[in-house]
Amino acid sequence: MKSNKVVSLLKDLGLLLYAMFALFPLVWLVIISFKHDREMFNTTFIFSPTLDNYRVLFSSGEFIGYFVDNLIVSVGAIILSIVVGVPAAYALARFDFKGKESIAFTFLSFRFAPEILVVLPIFLIYQKIGLYDTYFGLIWIFQVVSLPLMIWILRGYFEDISVEMEHAARLDGYSWWQVFIKMIIPLIKPGLVASSLLSFIFVWNNFTFSLLLAGQKVTTTTVAMLKYVSSDTVHYGQMAAAVLISSLPIIILALAIQKHLVRGLSMGAVKG
Amino acid sequence: MAELILKDVCKIYYKNKKPVEAVKSLNLKCRDGEFVALLGPSGCGKSTTLRMIAGLEDITSGDIYIGDRRINDLHPKDRNIGLAFENYALYPPLTVYDNIGFNLRAKKIPEKQIKEEIHKIAELLDITDLLDMKPAALSGGQKQRVNIARALIRRPEVLLLDEPLSHLDGKVRQKMRTEIKHLHTEINCTTIIVTHDQLEAMALADRIAIINQGVLQQFGTPLEVFNNPVNEFVAGFIGEPPMNIFNVVAIMENGILHFKTENSLIKFVVPEKYIRFVKEGEKYRFGIRPTDITVCREDDSYTVKTKVSVFENLGEECRIHIRLDNDNILSVVSSEIFHFKYGDEIKLKFNPERIHIFDCKTGQRIEKALQMT
Amino acid sequence: MANVRVEGIKKSFKKETVLSDISFEVKDKEFFVIFGPAGAGKTTLLNIIAGIYVPDEGHVYLNNKCIDHVEPEDRNVAMVFEDYALYPHLTVFDNIASPLRSPRYKQPEEVVKREVTRVAEILKIDWLLDRNPSELSNGQRQRVGLGRALIRSPEVFLMDEPITHLDAKLRHQMRAELKDMQRNLDTTTIYVTHDYLEALSLADRIAVINKGKIEQIGTPEEIYYKPANEFVASAFGEPEINIFNAEVVKENTELKLSIFGRKKIEIPKNIQKLVAEKEISIVRVGIRPKDIKYGFIQKNENCIIGKVYSFEPLGAKAILTVQVHNQLVQLLVPSDSEIQLNQEIFIEIDMEKTIFFDSVGNNLLASYSNVERKGVAWQN
Repeated sequence: MKSNKVVSLLKDLGLLLYAMFALFPLVWLVIISFKHDREMFNTTFIFSPTLDNYRVLFSSGEFIGYFVDNLIVSVGAIILSIVVGVPAAYALARFDFKGKESIAFTFLSFRFAPEILVVLPIFLIYQKIGLYDTYFGLIWIFQVVSLPLMIWILRGYFEDISVEMEHAARLDGYSWWQVFIKMIIPLIKPGLVASSLLSFIFVWNNFTFSLLLAGQKVTTTTVAMLKYVSSDTVHYGQMAAAVLISSLPIIILALAIQKHLVRGLSMGAVKG
Repeated sequence: MAELILKDVCKIYYKNKKPVEAVKSLNLKCRDGEFVALLGPSGCGKSTTLRMIAGLEDITSGDIYIGDRRINDLHPKDRNIGLAFENYALYPPLTVYDNIGFNLRAKKIPEKQIKEEIHKIAELLDITDLLDMKPAALSGGQKQRVNIARALIRRPEVLLLDEPLSHLDGKVRQKMRTEIKHLHTEINCTTIIVTHDQLEAMALADRIAIINQGVLQQFGTPLEVFNNPVNEFVAGFIGEPPMNIFNVVAIMENGILHFKTENSLIKFVVPEKYIRFVKEGEKYRFGIRPTDITVCREDDSYTVKTKVSVFENLGEECRIHIRLDNDNILSVVSSEIFHFKYGDEIKLKFNPERIHIFDCKTGQRIEKALQMT
Repeated sequence: MANVRVEGIKKSFKKETVLSDISFEVKDKEFFVIFGPAGAGKTTLLNIIAGIYVPDEGHVYLNNKCIDHVEPEDRNVAMVFEDYALYPHLTVFDNIASPLRSPRYKQPEEVVKREVTRVAEILKIDWLLDRNPSELSNGQRQRVGLGRALIRSPEVFLMDEPITHLDAKLRHQMRAELKDMQRNLDTTTIYVTHDYLEALSLADRIAVINKGKIEQIGTPEEIYYKPANEFVASAFGEPEINIFNAEVVKENTELKLSIFGRKKIEIPKNIQKLVAEKEISIVRVGIRPKDIKYGFIQKNENCIIGKVYSFEPLGAKAILTVQVHNQLVQLLVPSDSEIQLNQEIFIEIDMEKTIFFDSVGNNLLASYSNVERKGVAWQN
């Protein structure tokens, strides 16, 4: 019995150490966001906290613009992938057609290629067709990031719903569309919420595409970070503050629907 | 070949830190060469009992003996028990031959002897033609034969069969049942079968142990449990179609005790053998098997005049259903084929010898319930 | 008034033929059972009638109008599904109410409420109305599924193995309940099952299908006593009918049968005539387990000697399996019979009750239906 207690104590200690290791960058970020540039390099934990960095951030109004840009492209991408992804996932789950599995795999494979590999050709294409540095251009490319995840999660959900249930509803007097809206959408809701949220996080944090396919008229927060690097100095404090502010929506979202997220990803449509 | 004895065997396991008594003080004595069925609804503790005998599960308290060997602390492989798993559990990459021989090889028995043994057992189970096949190519019934062959190859003292027919359907199931019954007469090895299907238990076993909620209800031959169920649970569990069981009140009429349903649809004299147990004004549970009611023409004291609610002709037999009240239907099974339709008036004769009376509260057979108090 | 007719239905999935050339007509108010083993194509056929699948060839008629191009929601049929197909996110009440709230069969909310209560009371699920399907037992789910179909008055009820998932005892009870309900409903019903007891008990007529083809259509009486072939004969009855080869031999002027290679057994005159006319030398003889007698002494010349192979009591009755000449013969006997395993036994086949099949196509030659009316009568 005694040794059991020691073991569990050691386990807790190990977990604590790991938690410190994992959380340290975040803590460090918070700390430097309250530091003045002067104290940046000569203090560690003891310094006189200041809100200057935040003040600078919001005084110019520029940052708010980046934030809004980021919101527009992320939400746009998610809406587009819901509109495309839900029917696609349904088709993959329900219908039998030639090359079904290959198509499903192709969707997933969008996530395989490193972004940097595809971004150059896309850059050239975008310039040619005038999508470079536009909202739609970014939404278009972000949708490629979020769609595969959406399709793969939702396909599982659709497969869990028995075909007979759909048939039953048809015979009850509902048309196919009514069945889809009234019976099926409520059942895939947890999956829809979870996958939308996850996709939102991926898209919101994307850097490569935002940097190379936009930057002047449309600037996302991730790219905006670079603006704090000037030719002679790096404004670490302001950068940290900007990072914190821009990750706020995601943190809030994640906390708010944490329960749904876990449930949505780990359970099917019909259980529970 | 040996006896199998379970003495006060208990099993307690913990679920969410709360103790659950899966098996409560189980006592069983299976004779040498006997075929015993552990029968009960799912979750009654029968599989746990089997797993304890096999050594796959710890015994919380009590003892298990094979012959005079106490096997509680023996490793499963040293208990000399053959277990045929419910889902066959054959090794997919091995042929049937290697599946059956797997165990002997592990014991380092000479290859020639293994070959002999396998062929002997394969002949017994009629799977000689299948020896070179892989499990995936076999039908359900064939897999079950291989499964049993693998359990028998160790020449066990006790053979354990865990729901051997549950994965087979319809006709194959019935054929396999006959096969297993015949096999037992050939090998004559003490055999325990776990099943939730009362027909299977009745058909196969010499004696049946009926378990409910971890407690042994009755241990007897198929005919004993069928004809003399000790309580309402056993009465309802054994027999298909199930026994008709409904509420009656004992009333006095013209100085004679009568049983009567609430709506007086059924009313007749309390049979001789129950008179000393039945009290006037008390409620009882009245049971009679559908086969113990016959359609008759003349009246006597056990005749009920009623109307047919539903009539079914099933070829081998016909079934007549009479609605007693909103919740209860009285079923009658007759091997003589009649021709009735809804609303026909008929007379039914209850066989007074085959009436079962149970205590309303405890569900015990009335003779027993009185002995106990 | 509703009659259903299907004509030349063919359907295949991915080159695998599921149904080939199915035609039949279901009369108004008839209870029509489609019976067959698993994988016979029964459910596909029902789904075609419901409009869920489109047949590759053939037509479906409702009241003599072709409904091939009518959407399922517009066919006015109600269906009960094998796995219930309840809406998991709705309560029992909302599940049952669903048809009356649909655009096609919309009713005012107070009518919905009244009807749901009425149906729930009939099915004895009125105390479950607020629950979710996940909180119900299989028997209760099945009642909800039935309720959803019963709440409106469709032209046709389609039922796909509605009581398959219940245990034997509940099935016995539900079958009686269904039959009772059927009398009150009086609506054309097509019922799919693989349980021969359900088919015999409920049906006005039965269509036996196997591997996508119809083997026989007939009343329960015809199916049981005059099976069109060996498949139908062995599908109805448990234990299944014993069928074995018999040689026709001539003794003096009488034609007799030699079964198991040795005995000369007398056969009824009409069958002798038939065999003589068709010049048949080998027939297949079918005899149901309850029509074989047994004894321990040789009572007459027709007795065949065998050995007890197994004896399985099943309550009031028992299955006795006798090994005769390397073949197993099954008998239905009272379970209190005193029988020892491996003991010698004599069986006697009641030749008046045998069914004869031809040895090539295994189709019906003759059955004892000419005599059966004396002792046997069927419902309807």
